[in-house]
Amino acid sequence: MTCVLFSRPADDSQLNYLHYYSKELVELSEMLGHKTINKELQEANKATIISLVKKQKPRLIMFNGHGSPEEICGHKQEVLVSTIENSDILKGTITYTLSCSSALVLGPKSVEEGAVCFIGYESDFALGKDPESEASPRYDKIAKLFLEPSNLLFSSLLRGQNVKISVKKAKQKMADNISYLNTTKSFPEAIYYAPFLFGNYMSLTSHGNQDASIDAEL
Amino acid sequence: MSEKTQDNLEDIKREIVIERLRQIPTTVKISFGRDKGEFMNRDDMIRQVEGNTELGRKIIHVQLDYLKAFKNISLLEA
Repeated sequence: MTCVLFSRPADDSQLNYLHYYSKELVELSEMLGHKTINKELQEANKATIISLVKKQKPRLIMFNGHGSPEEICGHKQEVLVSTIENSDILKGTITYTLSCSSALVLGPKSVEEGAVCFIGYESDFALGKDPESEASPRYDKIAKLFLEPSNLLFSSLLRGQNVKISVKKAKQKMADNISYLNTTKSFPEAIYYAPFLFGNYMSLTSHGNQDASIDAEL
Repeated sequence: MSEKTQDNLEDIKREIVIERLRQIPTTVKISFGRDKGEFMNRDDMIRQVEGNTELGRKIIHVQLDYLKAFKNISLLEA
């Protein structure tokens, strides 16, 4: 049985959106019969996450959270994984980080140290918000355009598709959403979100074995 | 390119981006980067660009990359 680990802090507005949108991925993972470990809110802390990675050896990990070129954070911006301390912890995993910049340095370093694949963003991840949603992710039609591609990527990995296909699907969805933002007449401010979604498109990358999947031998 | 010319170019880029940001309705909110995870409006972004902060430079980068993409539409072919 494939083990999948989720780290889902939600201690600020941005993370609250990521937390909400990734809930369906946790449910999908469970539905597909994977051994699903969901650590959210204050449980997305270093002691818990690192212990689980060591003991359960998940094949697939999703980190939501803040990040930098050298690190991924959890609850209250506690650093979970960093190049200076423990990037080798990702050895043998396919990791997706929905965070800023961690694919720039931590990504390639973790692959050098044995990670099968590291997927993430090389620069800051942007998220747009619908002013009419009153900060409710559920009703936010703008945030959906930014986060759907990310969910498509990870759901594709959960379903056993390889990294190359999963990233390609996400990029195609981003391109479709950028096109929509540029052409829709549904809401006049749409066009102003497009450059930021384009930034996500350009920044999404993957390091390591592009043919890797949770079904393939790692 | 001389240092002075480079500085002038950076100033021009900054002015272009500030003008672009001024077109954005104040209701538009973007979260970008690690800045406390809060959403910024147009005026917050302009302040970052005018102040030449790290975040401001990233906003310039994103906006100019987007403009360049129109010169090469194949960038959006996944």
